Amino acid sequence: MLTTKGSPSPISELNVDDSPEREALRSTVSKLARSYGRTYLKEVVKEQRQPTELWSDLGKAGFLGVHLPEEYGGGGGGMADLAIVIEENAAAGIPLFMIVISPSIAGPILAAHGTDEQKATWLPGIASGELKVAFSITEPDAGLNTHNITTTATPRPGGGWTLNGQKYWTSGADEADALLVVARSDEPDDRGRTRLSLFLVPTDTPGIVMQEIDSALTLPEKQFVIFYDNVEVLEHNIIGDEHEGLRQVFAGLNPERIAAAAVANGIGRYAIEAGTNYAANRQVWKTPIGAHQGVAHPLARSHIEVQSSRLLAAHAAQLFDAGHDAGEASNMAKFCAGQAATNALDRAIQVHGGNGLSNEFGLSDLWFVARMFRTAPVSEEMILNHVAQHSLGLPKSY
Amino acid sequence: MNIVVCVKQIPDPAAPQSLEAGSHTLDRSGKLILDDSDAYGVEMALQLAEQAGGGEVTLVSMAPNGETAGLRTALAMGAAKAILVSDDALKGSDALGTAKVLAAAIGRVGADLIIAATESSDGYTGTTPVQVAELLGLPSITFAKSVAIDGGTVKVDRQTEAGYDEVTSPLPAVVTVTAGVVEPRYPSFKGIMAAKSKPIETLSVADLGLDGGQVGAAGGRQVITSVDEAEARNAGEIVVDEGDGAQRIVTFLENLKVI
Ligand SMILES: Cc1cc2nc3c(=O)[nH]c(=O)nc-3n(C[C@H](O)[C@H](O)[C@H](O)COP(=O)(O)OP(=O)(O)OC[C@H]3O[C@@H](n4cnc5c(N)ncnc54)[C@H](O)[C@@H]3O)c2cc1C
Ligand SMILES: Cc1cc2nc3c(=O)[nH]c(=O)nc-3n(C[C@H](O)[C@H](O)[C@H](O)COP(=O)(O)OP(=O)(O)OC[C@H]3O[C@@H](n4cnc5c(N)ncnc54)[C@H](O)[C@@H]3O)c2cc1C
Repeated sequence: MLTTKGSPSPISELNVDDSPEREALRSTVSKLARSYGRTYLKEVVKEQRQPTELWSDLGKAGFLGVHLPEEYGGGGGGMADLAIVIEENAAAGIPLFMIVISPSIAGPILAAHGTDEQKATWLPGIASGELKVAFSITEPDAGLNTHNITTTATPRPGGGWTLNGQKYWTSGADEADALLVVARSDEPDDRGRTRLSLFLVPTDTPGIVMQEIDSALTLPEKQFVIFYDNVEVLEHNIIGDEHEGLRQVFAGLNPERIAAAAVANGIGRYAIEAGTNYAANRQVWKTPIGAHQGVAHPLARSHIEVQSSRLLAAHAAQLFDAGHDAGEASNMAKFCAGQAATNALDRAIQVHGGNGLSNEFGLSDLWFVARMFRTAPVSEEMILNHVAQHSLGLPKSY
Repeated sequence: MNIVVCVKQIPDPAAPQSLEAGSHTLDRSGKLILDDSDAYGVEMALQLAEQAGGGEVTLVSMAPNGETAGLRTALAMGAAKAILVSDDALKGSDALGTAKVLAAAIGRVGADLIIAATESSDGYTGTTPVQVAELLGLPSITFAKSVAIDGGTVKVDRQTEAGYDEVTSPLPAVVTVTAGVVEPRYPSFKGIMAAKSKPIETLSVADLGLDGGQVGAAGGRQVITSVDEAEARNAGEIVVDEGDGAQRIVTFLENLKVI
């Protein structure tokens, strides 16, 4: 019995795992994800549903909560472990968006700033995948400038707050049990800056209206504009301290960047594997097309780009897990991964000739998913701003 | 209920393979992984131990270079401990030599039931487990598609070409399982982390009280004299359906005398 189903890709990847357990995690997740494969995700998208079967397998095995504290149902590992889980799914052709949101953003923020009660209520479910929390920060009129957020939390006389405002691009809101909402909770100071607070709002709270965005992404997760119209937030649903929202959100932003890099790196690997297999087997003249350097070099170049970007992501995860400042490395990792993935996919599509544009080959339908990582969760330009200012010490440009 | 599972660690079937010059044996110098065939045995053993309400699952493996990666996978699934026999003297072992080693290692455990796969993925002679049974003086039942324990006996549905036989045997016994017997679990993250600290006892041929001349190339009764390329298969016939597709397939199958 020689099984090919579930076999890892034959392409040699740089080993970024620093322990036999991480290697075992990688091969286990790879096998699980490849037993579903890209065909599964395509079906799920077509049927307009969520990848529930895979999600629940990942949750039951503890893979969605590898990085969360053990006392709240997590695995007690780190972002390096979660990045392995995310990358291996994407490398199997299954970029799972919800992992980048609920476990990667909401998980660490709650673990760092939630009360014991909030942690006990939410973390075990986030770790098992039974609960999902979406992240609602971006607004149409504020965009990348978080200081301009206008969604407002007004204290109510009897305790708690009332939320009013509008967000856009809140991914997966319809399948989420709660929304992590960033809102201004104070009057603006003389520079026009407002202090922000962070709230966990159950999605069935009256006053929440979701409007689906007609997006180009072929993903199970849908994208939403959300209107918060006199939404009542209970006193125990504020996360951490009032007016400290911005600082607290940072607990989830580096993990989000690392997670995003891991998806993009996985997509890059998936594309290179597909391109390489095709180049090795497709023959139109005397030799397989992969014998032509014009075909082979772009794939080799992409392999170098994706591997470099994996090393950078692993480094960022290591810094984060060790409790060091991982901001610079996480942003750089996301930047490189977004470019490496888009390049790899573009080249893999080119290698496939006309088939590259047929949905049957599972490449062109990934295009906007990969392309998105150049824009979200933070745009390339903002990362360049950050690097210019913080790494190079140049004057602040915005 | 103490169960021993024989698990073979093999070169990754997805990676390119090569034969060693001279001996024509598979190059086993790289990293070895758990044979997929043995994941079924491990799962079966875990389920039987659970159903029996206690007892341990012990792994036994013979592999070169002190390899434990495949054992760690099976420990991550839930087995309690492992015995690895690794010794340069084992290089060039044939199935009988392997069986001697496995039998000696199993003898140290005191098992109620010994499970192996029907055949391995790389050598696939399917002869090792029955030889182990013979050496231990135990009954053996092969091709199990279901296994149940009932007091001091094991009940097996044994796959045959025509259907299956219902076989009952007293314990201890050796049972080989097919891929259909159970669906192996994926190791969980907790399982992977716990496997790190589970005991693996590594033994040499001498530790087992075996004589180097009985095992390995020295004791081997099987020699691979030459290896030839498998004959290329003829391309299949493609039947294009022009309304008569079904009839043409029926005719084709009739010619083969399969219907
Ligand atoms: C598929 C998808 C999923 C998303 N999911 C979520 C989610 O779940 N939750 C959530 O809250 N948000 C989400 N977002 C929003 C995402 O984070 C934002 O789109 C992103 O941060 C950019 O904000 P914006 O679209 O308002 O762009 P803008 O801020 O309007 O920027 C427009 C362009 O101008 C550039 N620009 C702006 N300011 C500067 C400057 N100072 N210097 C140089 N260039 C500048 C930007 O880089 C960008 O190219 C998602 C977006 C997408 C596409
Ligand atoms: C020429 C030659 C050289 C070899 N060199 C080496 C060597 O250098 N080092 C070495 O360790 N082995 C070596 N072997 C042993 C070989 O890899 C097999 O273990 C042995 O021949 C069994 O054959 P098989 O794979 O056909 O097993 P099968 O009879 O098809 O196996 C059936 C089941 O028995 C169990 N089983 C079989 N082998 C093992 C094992 N090794 N450990 C645990 N359970 C097992 C498994 O459950 C397996 O699925 C060599 C074999 C040959 C023929």
